Amino acid sequence: MMRPRWRKVFHDLINNLSRTLLVVFSIAVGVFSIGVIVGAYVIISNDMSQSYSSNHPANVELRTGPFDDSLVSTIQNVRGVNDAEGRTVLSLRARIKGTENWQTLNIIAIEDYSDININLLNIDEGTNQPNNKEAVIERKVLQDMQVKVGQTLELQLENGTIKELPVVGIVQDASTAAGDFIANPFVYITVNTLPYLNEEPLFNRLYVTLAENENDNTHLQTMLTVIRDKTEQSGVSVFHSRFAKTNEHPMASTVQAILGILLALGILILFLSSSLIANTLNALLNQHLRYIGIMKLVGASRNQVLQMYMVLILSFCLIALGIAVPLGGQGAYGLAAFIADQINFALMGYRIVPLALIVQIVVGLAVPLMAGFIPVLNGSKISVVRALSDNQMLEENKPEQVEIKKETFVEKISLRFTKLLSKRNIHIPRPLLISFRNTFRRKGRLILTLFTLTMAGAIFIAVFNVRVTLFDYLDGIADYFMADVTLDFDQPYRVKDITNRVMAIPGVADIEGWAYASAEAINLDESLAENITILAPPSDSTMVTPNLIAGRWLIPGDEKALALSEQIYEDFPDLQPGDKIRIKIYGKKEEWTVVGIFKFVPQEGTFAYGTYEYISKITHQNNRSFSYRIMLENHDKKNQKAMGVVIDDYFQNAGYNVDQVRTGDSTLKSASESLDILITFLLIMAILTAIVGSMGLTGTMGMNVLERTREIGVMRSIGAVDRAIMQTVIIEGMAIGGISWLMGAILSVPITYLLSDIVSLAVFESPIQVIFTTTGFLIWFLVVLILSALASLFPARNAASLTIREVLAYE
Amino acid sequence: MARKSTLIQKDKHPSTQSSEPLINVSDVVKSFKTAGEDFFALNGITFNVYPGEFLGIIGKSGAGKTTLVNMITGVDHLTSGQVSVNTNNRKVSIHHFNEDQLALWRGQNMGVVYQSFQLLPMLSLLENIMLPMDLCGNYSPSQSREKAYELLRMVELEDHAKKLPKFISGGQQQRVSIARALANDPPIIIADEPTGSLDSITADHVFGVFETLKNQGRTILMVTHDKSLSPRFTRTLVIQDGELAHDSQTEAM
Ligand SMILES: Nc1ncnc2c1ncn2[C@@H]1O[C@H](COP(=O)(O)OP(=O)(O)OP(=O)(O)O)[C@@H](O)[C@H]1O
Ligand SMILES: [Mg+2]
Repeated sequence: MMRPRWRKVFHDLINNLSRTLLVVFSIAVGVFSIGVIVGAYVIISNDMSQSYSSNHPANVELRTGPFDDSLVSTIQNVRGVNDAEGRTVLSLRARIKGTENWQTLNIIAIEDYSDININLLNIDEGTNQPNNKEAVIERKVLQDMQVKVGQTLELQLENGTIKELPVVGIVQDASTAAGDFIANPFVYITVNTLPYLNEEPLFNRLYVTLAENENDNTHLQTMLTVIRDKTEQSGVSVFHSRFAKTNEHPMASTVQAILGILLALGILILFLSSSLIANTLNALLNQHLRYIGIMKLVGASRNQVLQMYMVLILSFCLIALGIAVPLGGQGAYGLAAFIADQINFALMGYRIVPLALIVQIVVGLAVPLMAGFIPVLNGSKISVVRALSDNQMLEENKPEQVEIKKETFVEKISLRFTKLLSKRNIHIPRPLLISFRNTFRRKGRLILTLFTLTMAGAIFIAVFNVRVTLFDYLDGIADYFMADVTLDFDQPYRVKDITNRVMAIPGVADIEGWAYASAEAINLDESLAENITILAPPSDSTMVTPNLIAGRWLIPGDEKALALSEQIYEDFPDLQPGDKIRIKIYGKKEEWTVVGIFKFVPQEGTFAYGTYEYISKITHQNNRSFSYRIMLENHDKKNQKAMGVVIDDYFQNAGYNVDQVRTGDSTLKSASESLDILITFLLIMAILTAIVGSMGLTGTMGMNVLERTREIGVMRSIGAVDRAIMQTVIIEGMAIGGISWLMGAILSVPITYLLSDIVSLAVFESPIQVIFTTTGFLIWFLVVLILSALASLFPARNAASLTIREVLAYE
Repeated sequence: MARKSTLIQKDKHPSTQSSEPLINVSDVVKSFKTAGEDFFALNGITFNVYPGEFLGIIGKSGAGKTTLVNMITGVDHLTSGQVSVNTNNRKVSIHHFNEDQLALWRGQNMGVVYQSFQLLPMLSLLENIMLPMDLCGNYSPSQSREKAYELLRMVELEDHAKKLPKFISGGQQQRVSIARALANDPPIIIADEPTGSLDSITADHVFGVFETLKNQGRTILMVTHDKSLSPRFTRTLVIQDGELAHDSQTEAM
């Protein structure tokens, strides 16, 4: 048998279901978002490194000239080496048999799939151990090609012949090229399949895992030097080398930064939801003042009242937790899975994150109890006469204070305004006037609602601005790849020859032959600092528009000169233009001058520009080039694609060894991928804040209508029809939405700067130029008007459905 | 039930007028702050109430009757003067209590009935009556339940025990609120126009309930503006413009 006072609490909980739902949902939204973010944060930071390291990622990777098993055994015997494997990587064009589209894939040949100990392959489907003349594909292939197990892959060899390989499995390779968005997708075959593809069964990649200290940078560096030297001593040339920790995914810091931003937004949502809770509880206490008065009249002490309402709030909390905790757990895993999929690593399986659980429970209890404590305390303090007299309003009357009826400032203004208008024969419809007066009636509530909606709007708009800012930045990056079509050959051809042929194709505007080189920046102690990929356009190139942050661009006549991407700051933070940097290029150690530093997206290794004239000389490719940049007369994507096919066909038919033909946007696509993830999350957060905001408005309008039941009854009794009543409520809601839009639009400016700085500092090395777009402002304007109309529709229908009898029976 | 009325102790409050007053209202002044000058709703009212009296407080609208009752129940603060009450051999000056002490004291010593019933709409009639017992903690839950049934029986509403207030008539609601006022078995019942919003037949029925209580020996203060009821009280006070205009007791002397 429940005591009457607890029975009352119970009734308060279940009798007014819509109010209970409103409070519960305001709590649940905050608890949910914080749970999702904290959970995802914990899962990602744990699983990203754990799943990465569980695949035994190589600690040292060398790209070399051809070698065989003897080098592998040599390296295996080096002290400190755990294991070494040789693999072959070559790139070929492939397509699904029976389809048209060619795709460039990286073919990886492995000797013995039953004995892989480095860069393990996890099965998604089928097998991860192809037999001879079979292929297993990495899941990233599926992004561009809808291959299924059982289908056949056609590979085009350098001589133009086509070889078939049935696909027997799909795997995830989380280690090879981890974090390298630009790498081609992988296909795995056996080494014995290589002759079938006209390739020698020799390796060109060496993967090594270390026996100890595999997470210590200095040790890794030392071992890399040892292994590289050993390799070179064996007569195998090393083109490129890198080392990586076992327990740290290359993208870890970027992902942590993204999650950090999400966490900040989650806390903000929590903040908004707590203002929503405060609002709703305040209104609830207002409605309950009479009951508090009655209870005090029949003997309730302040503490008893306090207790009853705190228990009521606690019950709201518990229901909210019951909903939000399981959903938050699911959401956290969903978000983590989404990120994992984007970054390409496997999660360790669904689980409950204790930290997220604790945070959710603490937040779900503490925030509402704190938000509710003040209104409950005030309510419990009210004297019986005040509680039982008719017009008690918690927030507006301080105890024992006289209420002097005066027109408020807003009322005065609006009165004057309407008079002014009516003098000019403009008459604002009555319901509209009532709406506006209502809007300003409950100041405290209005302020809280406006705050919530304003913050939501400001974040929403800011996300759009940041999105444009990032895209604009990417466009800037695209200036480095300005060509409409990039044409790569498997062997160098004379620039003059290719230029003449390409220029003869109608629609082509310009062509440049570029040179490439790999170099390694080395520290004073001879250890590797950073791999540098050097692109070398002609020094009078029109196809690069660099975004310099220091120094100058390359000029004709520059020798041993480089313009480096800002990534170099990670290893040489004090580098200045004009400084010399020690690099190893084509087996020689030299000092080159850094003429300038330019902005670029983050990635493995550093990009640099040199001049074609000098680089082609030292690579002994004078007047020849593997790679050509082509400008078209018409730059739109469709034309780029079409011309890509034309140029491809032309050179294939003319007997050239075409490696691949890429069009402008495909180059950009890879670069933008990491930012896309970020923007998606930001948008999700913006939408969440919008939902919280509109829930706040629904609550406010609901409360306004409830408190005005009597007034609505009076309006009705003097002949107001349903539509008129609904109109006043909806217009009121939209007025609040409109005001919040204005304030949100203003507030979005500093938030845009803040967010864009946080994002760019997290993802890039330096802040980027902020760009504003009207899109966010316009979309939010529409969204907030629609949301506020919808948010007031429900309360408005309630209001309209009240009959006079019900209104008079109210109380 | 066999134990009918055992919990309502008829002889606890002897109706003999002892010399010791139950309630002493002494020079009570109540002023309200308004936009202009302070408004004096009560202008120094003094009188005693003796055990067993059925006291009618009569006056025109705005005379200050409700204000006076609020001073006696302590739900509002007075400007000056004193109200002391002597129940269960304990004499207390109620305006010296803090709010919690007063609420508990009132719950145990005074049953208050208002014109507008003031029942909690979300509780059944039975629970409404049990509420004061629950809050003051004098009875165990099962005892208070039994007692609430007994009180409902007394006001002839035991058949409706599980109903919510909105499903019964005004007269019935008022009888429930009287039953609630009796829950903690207080020696004093104070009613502010309990029949004010009832039709004459219902009003008469409700008034009858008070007369029964009087006959059981309770002390009752009832506000009304219906002069015709005067003969049915044991004593009447007339309030006019915040002053005591007439006291039937001093008249008799
Ligand atoms: N909170 C208040 N503030 C200002 N004046 C008040 C307040 N409460 C009562 N009054 C004034 O005090 C006077 C007495 O009011 P009171 O409510 O006691 O009258 P009443 O005799 O109970 O009248 P009725 O029969 O209409 O209930 C009235 O003039 C009233 O306007
Ligand atoms: Mg009155």
